[in-house]
Amino acid sequence: MAITKRYTGFFFLIPGVAFLLIMGIFPLIWSLTLAFHKWKAATGAGKVFIGFKNFIDILTDDSRFWNSLRFTVLYVLIVVLVELVLGLVLAYILSEKIRFRNFFRILFLLPMAAPAIGVAFIWRMLLNPDAGIVSKIFAGFSINIPGLLTNAATAPYVLMLIDIWEWTPFMFMGLLAALQSFPPELFEAASIDGANGLQTFGYVTLPLLKPIIITLSLLRVIDAFKLFEIVFAVTSGGPGSSTESLSFYAYTTGFSYFNLGYACALSWIFLWIVLGISNIVLNRFRKET
Amino acid sequence: MPKKRKVTLGTIIIWIVLIVFSVWTIFPFFWTVITSIKIPGERFTYGFIPYVQFQPTSQNWSNILSGPEQERTLLGLKSSIIISAISSLLVLCLGCLSGYALARFSFRKSKDIAVWILSNRMFPPIAVAIPFFLMMRSLRLLDTLPAIIIAHTVFNLPLAIWLMRDFFKELPKEIEEAALIDGCSVIQTFIRVALPLALPGIIAAYILCFIFSWNEFLFVITLSYKNVMTLPVVITGTLTVVGIDFSRISTLTILAITPPVVLAAFTSKYLVRGLTLGAVKE
Repeated sequence: MAITKRYTGFFFLIPGVAFLLIMGIFPLIWSLTLAFHKWKAATGAGKVFIGFKNFIDILTDDSRFWNSLRFTVLYVLIVVLVELVLGLVLAYILSEKIRFRNFFRILFLLPMAAPAIGVAFIWRMLLNPDAGIVSKIFAGFSINIPGLLTNAATAPYVLMLIDIWEWTPFMFMGLLAALQSFPPELFEAASIDGANGLQTFGYVTLPLLKPIIITLSLLRVIDAFKLFEIVFAVTSGGPGSSTESLSFYAYTTGFSYFNLGYACALSWIFLWIVLGISNIVLNRFRKET
Repeated sequence: MPKKRKVTLGTIIIWIVLIVFSVWTIFPFFWTVITSIKIPGERFTYGFIPYVQFQPTSQNWSNILSGPEQERTLLGLKSSIIISAISSLLVLCLGCLSGYALARFSFRKSKDIAVWILSNRMFPPIAVAIPFFLMMRSLRLLDTLPAIIIAHTVFNLPLAIWLMRDFFKELPKEIEEAALIDGCSVIQTFIRVALPLALPGIIAAYILCFIFSWNEFLFVITLSYKNVMTLPVVITGTLTVVGIDFSRISTLTILAITPPVVLAAFTSKYLVRGLTLGAVKE
């Protein structure tokens, strides 16, 4: 590249980076220092430095934290797996030339573009046990749907269903775009060599898709981990605390109980988990660019 | 070699899958629209064909747009539009500069800087929500538009830089080199050559940031409570002790989801690219 004037380059780079450092990194460091303090703002008491006590309490003596971690991990594993399998099937079936392709592509994108809060409320209405259309339809077949959202055994799966509705298109569109970028000769060669559809899929398509499958799944895992809006709008963590996600627990601790130090410690533990997963994705991006 | 389209078992399966998935995708939206044009008392009924099975009404819409709810709805609309439009503008101003730097200048570790910038996108927002709250409180910005505009700018900037870097890299650099040889300064080249060439990408990135800002929820509820209220927050305000009012919620939900959904339909190519952080390019 002819432009080698490094200082001009810095002039271009600095505003954005400075903004991220001041408004992104500084708050994180502040949050970390708060995590070492006891600060229950609701009682009017000031900050007291207590070292690692918040972290120790969370990890050894906070069943609510472990419960939210268990729910979040289960949620992430199930939704990402289901979305991946559904997305893969759809992408494979629809990778052939179909009519109205653009129409369908736009149609399937819509759930992802809607605000999560809106999606959550739409499903809350659909699933309402008294007036929701879902229970009406089942009643039509004289099947009584119990309150799926008021039962601690079923509520987590209802939330997963909403997530699957919203995010299957992400996998589907991503994989479809990847499939269409491969030269068709690859698949033709396989079929000339006598491979049937299933063999082509297993020995040609899947290995080709593997890198993008891993990247998309990890991106989805990171995103699904932050689960907040659906819980907030549909169950508020209930019944009991059966659907309390990590984000929601940290939010409640910080903004309902104003237990700020503890909430910061919680969110840092959460941050470490997410950054651990992010590192894998980021390394993949680093290699590609 | 043009072949005549034959109806095979394969095409039938494809169409069944397409139709089932389309119904699954569209029905929740459709039902929400239907609920919003039903008389509140009739919302328990099955009817889903307007004029045939039920008489549509604009009552719910006039309730939220001109009735007792008007003030709240307009506040939500106003906040949503101002916050999304201005924060996306700030994001793109900063994002074009930094993205251009990372695409066109050789730094030591420029790849590391780019990846570090992207890593900011992956933080769970809750991790910065508390310091943001404290920061905005000491700046006396709680419950004001600037607080949320700043938060959304931080939230969207990593993605914008990353995408703009990609868009600038895709431009043929010979044109910029020719401009430099003809005596343009670097800044002139950037403004007069690179920016216009990248305009489609800039518009796409702006729309993406607009959608993400419009949909963002956590920062809005933690940084504001009364004077600023985006549409997603207005919807949650409909939860009352009496229970949920379907007519009101469905109407407000349609209002809140239409702008991002329509924008996404126009930029469908870029939405996947943005959501996958550029890993998938169509």
